Amino acid sequence: MINPRIDRSTPVIVQGITGRAGRLHSRLMRHYGTRIVGGVALADKHNNINGLPVFPDCKAAVAATGARASVLLVGALQLLAAMQDAVAAGIRTLVTPAEGMPAHDALKAWRLARDAGAAWIGASTPGMAVAGEVKLGFLPDDALKPGPLGLMSKSGTLSYEAGYRLAQRGVGTSVWIGVGGDPVKGTRYADLVPFYAADPETEALLIIGEIGGTDEEEFAAALAAQRFAKPVFALIAGRTAPEGITMGHAGALVHGSHGTFAAKRAALEAAGVRVFGSLNEMVEGVRATLG
Amino acid sequence: MYLLEHDAKELLAQHGIAVPAGRLIGRGDAICHPALPPGPWIVKGQIAAGGRGKAGLIRRAETLQDVTGHTGAILGATVNGRAVEAVRIEQAVAGAGEAYLGLMLDAAAGGVRVILSARGGMEVEALPRAAIRTEVAAPDAAALAACVARLTNSLDGPESPALRDAGERLARVFLECEALLIEINPLFIRPGGGWIAGDAKFVTDDSALPRQPELRKLLESRAAAYPEAALKLEHGFDYVVADPAGEIGLLTTGAGLSMMLIDELRAAGLKPYNFLDIRTGGLRGKTKRLAQALDWIGRGSGVKVLLVNIFAGITDLGEFSRLLVAALGAARFRTPVVARLVGNGLPVAREVLAAAGIGLHTDLDAALAAVRGHLQR
Repeated sequence: MINPRIDRSTPVIVQGITGRAGRLHSRLMRHYGTRIVGGVALADKHNNINGLPVFPDCKAAVAATGARASVLLVGALQLLAAMQDAVAAGIRTLVTPAEGMPAHDALKAWRLARDAGAAWIGASTPGMAVAGEVKLGFLPDDALKPGPLGLMSKSGTLSYEAGYRLAQRGVGTSVWIGVGGDPVKGTRYADLVPFYAADPETEALLIIGEIGGTDEEEFAAALAAQRFAKPVFALIAGRTAPEGITMGHAGALVHGSHGTFAAKRAALEAAGVRVFGSLNEMVEGVRATLG
Repeated sequence: MYLLEHDAKELLAQHGIAVPAGRLIGRGDAICHPALPPGPWIVKGQIAAGGRGKAGLIRRAETLQDVTGHTGAILGATVNGRAVEAVRIEQAVAGAGEAYLGLMLDAAAGGVRVILSARGGMEVEALPRAAIRTEVAAPDAAALAACVARLTNSLDGPESPALRDAGERLARVFLECEALLIEINPLFIRPGGGWIAGDAKFVTDDSALPRQPELRKLLESRAAAYPEAALKLEHGFDYVVADPAGEIGLLTTGAGLSMMLIDELRAAGLKPYNFLDIRTGGLRGKTKRLAQALDWIGRGSGVKVLLVNIFAGITDLGEFSRLLVAALGAARFRTPVVARLVGNGLPVAREVLAAAGIGLHTDLDAALAAVRGHLQR
C-alpha cells in the first residue's frame, strides 16, 4: 500500500534546486514546515542555496543527508533521468511537478517506481501535503487548512480553488495529493483508496477529476472493491468540452464514448459517490456532511 | 494530438506501412482527376472523431462523377458542431478480409496494450469477446514483438501470419513515434497474405514533440488542421475557441479551473467564448503572452466582457495586475474587464487595477454578477 503520510521529520531534497523554481520553492516548502536537507544540481557551481548544501547527484545527497524524499524541479525531458538517479540512491517518495513529460518516459518511470516500491506523485502535479505538517510542491498555504477531508486532484488550480473555498467555510484537509493531469501517472486515485480507508485522520474523501482517461472509473471500482465506508464526493471538470480537442491537460482528451463526463458520473454514482456540478454545490455538500 | 486519417496514413506510409493510395482535397481545392489513383474510390471526410461512417462521411464512388458529387456533399458538412474541411479520396480495396489491430498506451496497466482480432470493421467494443486477443506489454520492441507473437499464435485462422507481421511493424512505429494510440480498423488482409491499412487512427503525444522532429514538421506543415496543438507548440500555452458566438472572453490560468469555469458559465445560461490556460508562472515579467491572448479574444465578434480569473498559488498578483493593465493598453482592448483574483499581493493589485478603472473581486460569484451586468448593458 502506498502511504503518503510523511511528516516534519522526513528529510527531503530538491533536485534542480539551483533553478528559478528550485530556489523559490525550497524556501516556501521550508517555511511551511518541510524538512528540506539539501539539493541536487547537475553541472552547477553553487555549493549552497538558501543555506542548503548542493550535491552533484542523489547518491551524494543521500549519503550526506539521509534524504528519503525528493521534489524534482527539473524540466520534463530531464525528468526520467533524474528519477532514475533518485531511485538508485534509495529515495522512495518522488514528487515531480514538471508539465509535459513524454508519455513513453512516464511509462518507463511508472515501471521504475513500481519495481523499486517507490511512491511517485506526478508528473504534472502541484504536489502533495499533509495539511498543517508538511508539503512537497507548490500547494498554496491559504488552501491548506488542516481537517478531516482527504483530497485528490488531477488539476492544480481547480484544487486550489476548491481547497480555498472549503477552508473559508471551515472545512480542512487531511492528506492532499495532486495526482496530476497526465494520462500516465505515478499514483492514480485508485492506488490511494486503501490508504484513505485506513487513515484515521480522514473522515471523508473528495476527488477533483476531469474528462479524459479512465481514472475516475477505476477509482469507483476500487471503492467498491475496498467497501470504502467513508463519504466520498467528486467534482468533475470538462462536462461541456468538445471531443477530440485537448483542453490544457494531456489527459483531458475525450474520444468516442471514452473519458466522457457522463461515463464518469455514472460509474462514480454507482459506487455511492456524490458527484457535484459546480464548486459551490460541492463546498456546501461537503460542509453539510462534515460540518 | 488526434491525427486526421490522411495525416495518420501519410505518417504510417513514411514508416513503411502499406496504405491505399489517396489524395487530400480541401474546401475550395479543385479535384485534379489525373492525380487520383485508379478507381473505384472511397471518399472520406476528415474529422478527428469516430463514427464517420454513420455520419455519412465515408462514401464509395464508382465513377469520377460520383467522386465529385460525394466530395461536394461531404465538404462543408457539419458533424458534432465541426465543419468537415477536407476529404481523402483513396483507392478502394477489393477482395480482402477485414481484421482489427490496435496498440494503445495503457496508463492504468503501466504498459502498451495490444489488441487484435481476425474480425474487424466494427468498433472494438462491438466485436465478440471470444474473437479478441489482448495483452499488455512493456514499452520496448522485444517485449511488444513477443506479445504480438503470442496473441497471433492463439488465433488459428489464415489471417494469423499477416496480423503478426502488421503487429510487429506497427509496434515499431508506435515506439519510434512515441504514439499514445494506433488503431488500424479495418486492417485489410488479402487472400495471398498481404495486408494494407484500410483506416488509421493515430494519437500522438504533444509532450514528445520537442524530440520528435518528424511530428513537429507534420504539425507545422498542417497547422490549420490542428490549430490548438500548433498554437501551443508556437506560444507555449493553451487556447481554444470554445464557442465562436461566445460573449464572455476568459483570461484564466489552470486547465482544470478554466474547464470548470466554462462548465459553470454554461450551466448558468452564459456563453463563454474561449478556453485559456495562460500559465501565470510562464509570464516571466513580460506582457507578450497576455497581449497575444487578448488579441485572440478580441477577435471574438460577440465578446462583450472579459472575465479575468486567476487563483495564484505563487504568482504575485500586484506584478500580474501591472502586466495585465500594460497588456490591455498594448492590445488596445476596449471590452469591459471584470477581474477576480485570489492570492498573494492583493492590496497592490487592487490599487493598480482601480487606477485602470477595473473593479477587483475576490469572490467568483460577485465577479459573475458584474459580468452579467455588462452583458445586459
